[in-house]
Amino acid sequence: MIEIRDLHKSFGPLEVLKGINLRLEHGKVLVIIGPSGSGKTTLLRCFNLLELPDQGILTVAGTEIRFAEKAKIPRKTVLGLRQKTGMVFQSYNLFPHMTALGNVMEGQITVQRRSREEARSRGLELLGKVGLSDKAEAYPHQLSGGQQQRVAIARAMAVEPEVLLFDEPTSALDPELVGEVLKVIRQLASEGMTMVIVTHEMKFAADVADLIVLMDQGFILEQGSPQQVLKQSQNPRVRQFLNRLSGDEQ
Amino acid sequence: MDDRKLQIFMDSLLPLFKAGVAYTIPLALVSFVLGLLLAVATALVRLSSWRIPELIARFYVWIIRGTPLLVQLFIIFYGLPSAGIVLDPFIAAVIGFTLSVGAYSSEIVRAAILSIPKGQWEAAYSVGMTRGQALRRIILPQAARVSVPPLANSFISLVKDTSLAAGITYVEMFRTAQQITATTYEPLLLYSEAALFYLLFCSVLSGLQNVLEKRFDRYTAR
Repeated sequence: MIEIRDLHKSFGPLEVLKGINLRLEHGKVLVIIGPSGSGKTTLLRCFNLLELPDQGILTVAGTEIRFAEKAKIPRKTVLGLRQKTGMVFQSYNLFPHMTALGNVMEGQITVQRRSREEARSRGLELLGKVGLSDKAEAYPHQLSGGQQQRVAIARAMAVEPEVLLFDEPTSALDPELVGEVLKVIRQLASEGMTMVIVTHEMKFAADVADLIVLMDQGFILEQGSPQQVLKQSQNPRVRQFLNRLSGDEQ
Repeated sequence: MDDRKLQIFMDSLLPLFKAGVAYTIPLALVSFVLGLLLAVATALVRLSSWRIPELIARFYVWIIRGTPLLVQLFIIFYGLPSAGIVLDPFIAAVIGFTLSVGAYSSEIVRAAILSIPKGQWEAAYSVGMTRGQALRRIILPQAARVSVPPLANSFISLVKDTSLAAGITYVEMFRTAQQITATTYEPLLLYSEAALFYLLFCSVLSGLQNVLEKRFDRYTAR
């Protein structure tokens, strides 16, 4: 479903991803954790080519792309891959000049060439799913952070992606709004949506993940089930990271 | 003001107003619309990664911004005939003003596009849009809102700058005032009267700017 082999990415002289290998089956949830600067967001952004890897192989939903220095990836391949993935951003990035419904309809109309009626009915259905049927005509600035993020999830779902990518979806939210967003993501997980989630919410990660990857300094330090990574890992760096996090929570 | 002056003032109202509505405003409008298209194109080229067109766009902005508008108009109207290109005063004026608006406003449009957060591009790309689709559907509509105040400034400047077209025999409002002055010998009166009309036109435009900004306001938090 998703496979990554020996993926490398540098920003100038700084190597952010130093050979990443990963495999995620269809319908599973991968959670990426790790200290800031470990490369987890960059890795996530490689899945839909918002960052172009320098080297390695990326396979998403049957599309295999091989990266090499200077080799140009055809535009069609890039667009095709992006249509198979949806992304939810830390800062929501809703289109401020469109209503909530407009945001959810936009990709369907512009990219998928659906009719307005079709896009509208699917948009309303998705807004209902994230609990925002009554906010369809509201502009983003009229919504709370949690509501905006739920619209963003509906927008990402609207183009029927095979994989949903979440980049710290609750990090910009007030604490009391985190729950409503996590609830929506949990529901998607239970429906069998394939997802990759970068997050700092450890309890949520432990609950929702089928596979947890802990990154550090551009490498994968540990990967496995939540039980294996969060409870049983003997790696001192893993323990150190987890202890620091639980220290934060107290 | 004696009776004679008052009479001249009253008699000139209609001819000046007519010249304004029939010649000054159309010249400004046509030049602005064409200039704006040129400005968007120039801004997009300057933001692109095409080396040669980008250099040409830079060169164009450099020339237009670095030389006086009146001199440009003279070159187009009085100079080009020597090269075998004879233009009607209106056409010459439209070309001159369009080039001017295109160069100055391209910087406004470019800045407006750059002011839209990177996250908007990424959100557009993440639903599968091409660069063109992202620009048309997501970036330009937001950039348009940001550029209303500075573009309104440009348009108001342009309305006043059209008086320069008097210098290339285009009979707009200012040249009409000159013609009336030539027969009445009342320069202070006539030029002041023309100034009042420019003020009136520009005030109306400021009002329109406010209306436009209000329309855009429905999607911005204040």
